[in-house]
Amino acid sequence: MRRRPYAYLYEQMVRRELRQKYKGSVLGVAYYLVNPLVLTAAYALMFTYVLRFDRVEDYPLFLLIGIAVWLFFSQSLLAAAGSLIDQAALVRKVRFPREIVPAAVVSTQFVIFVVLIVLLLPVVLIVRGTLGAQLLLLPVVLGALGVFVLGLALGVSILHAYFRDVAPILGAALLPWFFVTPIFFRPTDFPGQAANPWLSDVLRWGNPIAPFIEAVRDVLYEGRVPGSGTLIYVAVAAGLALVCGRALFRRMERELAVVL
Amino acid sequence: MSAAAPGEVVLEGASRAFVVRADPARTLKELFIGRRGSEASGPPPIHALRDVTLRVGRGEALGIMGRNGAGKTSTLRVLTGIVPLDSGSAECGGRIVSLLEVGAGFGRDFSGRENIHLNGALHGLNRAEVEEKVERIVAFSELGDFIDVPVRTYSSGMFVRLGFAIAAHLDADVMLIDEVLAVGDEAFQRKCLARIEELMAGGMTLVLVSHDAGTIENVCARVVVLDEGRVAFDGPTADALAHYRRLLDDHEGSTVRG
Repeated sequence: MRRRPYAYLYEQMVRRELRQKYKGSVLGVAYYLVNPLVLTAAYALMFTYVLRFDRVEDYPLFLLIGIAVWLFFSQSLLAAAGSLIDQAALVRKVRFPREIVPAAVVSTQFVIFVVLIVLLLPVVLIVRGTLGAQLLLLPVVLGALGVFVLGLALGVSILHAYFRDVAPILGAALLPWFFVTPIFFRPTDFPGQAANPWLSDVLRWGNPIAPFIEAVRDVLYEGRVPGSGTLIYVAVAAGLALVCGRALFRRMERELAVVL
Repeated sequence: MSAAAPGEVVLEGASRAFVVRADPARTLKELFIGRRGSEASGPPPIHALRDVTLRVGRGEALGIMGRNGAGKTSTLRVLTGIVPLDSGSAECGGRIVSLLEVGAGFGRDFSGRENIHLNGALHGLNRAEVEEKVERIVAFSELGDFIDVPVRTYSSGMFVRLGFAIAAHLDADVMLIDEVLAVGDEAFQRKCLARIEELMAGGMTLVLVSHDAGTIENVCARVVVLDEGRVAFDGPTADALAHYRRLLDDHEGSTVRG
């Protein structure tokens, strides 16, 4: 018995996903990089010139890092939600490890996300002068983020196969979630923070994606090693999401071919 | 994972019921509100398989016949392992390859060649193993230049040709075929049957569902007749065909009289 008999299937699915994504759009893969840039430009203009928010230096870079993490998180979950239904023809035909389907979707998004970060890296390093040993933590933090999103995606995909209102509910939740996530602002620095110090703790720790954004931002933008609290949170959240997502998936996948 | 030896097929006391609903999936809303109108008023569950026990040895060809809704397709779906049983056990030893629906397992926007790779990968093959087989599959399918065209442009006959060509070259220990061959033209059907015999000589086990007595007689020495989810007959093909015809006559008689 070979060790990873379905590695080729996984590879095929990621390739298909990548090809299907950019096929039919003039800009090709670049489209996925344009999206965060356009969003960043729009928010940077809005906050800098309209709302006169000037508490953060190099604000577009600060924004872009948060938006990149957020887009990877939200796009992965939305794409994973429908993934098993999209691949129903395969799921109903052959017995293969079904985790591969949402995993391939998340991997595709992860590839796009990492490409964006790599392209961004020289700009951030030059503008912010953050070339340093803390960058060694970048792969670790990005890896933890990938695992965290994979765990959630497993759960979301299997839930949506059985309960078809999971994706619309998720879609509706992501928009307000976006605005309470520290993407535009630092959770420790916003108007009225002094009067309600507890609020920054809620924003930092009550939202599981916030510490990931903080960690990536610390490494790239601030040029420092993230606090140990953040690092522990990130590691635990990733492990917990994967263990729970897998357990849920395994528990519910039995009847999958029947409900699809 | 499976206790059955490669090429062995074992069903023991297999039962499976399906709840029939217009939309098989529920919503969270229904879960939390705790009721759904359609379930109470919908038809009762269909007992697709009731206590089915059968055993097929390596290299044997078993035909399955029965009226519509007798449980033929359910038997195959249970054997592939994609539909779990309510009780009893189903085991197929080794690599199972199935041809259940025309065009199942194909990505419509991808070429025939890409779908060969996908199908190989779905059965756990790696790139080298697939590549080693691709040219033989393409040749067998007789699709010519169409092999590099997206399969959404294929006719159902072309789907079956490609589907069978792939299935016939995946080194299956057990092959499950549901009716689909009937879609191909006669020449291709003959070619398929010849290939099946070749594979069986190499030790492959075949479970074939068909309404066509001619095909069954050609390929299978033994036939199981299913009726309302139960094994009504299990034995030599000639006797099974006679039993099947009686079953059809009885049914016709009862509906005419009833």
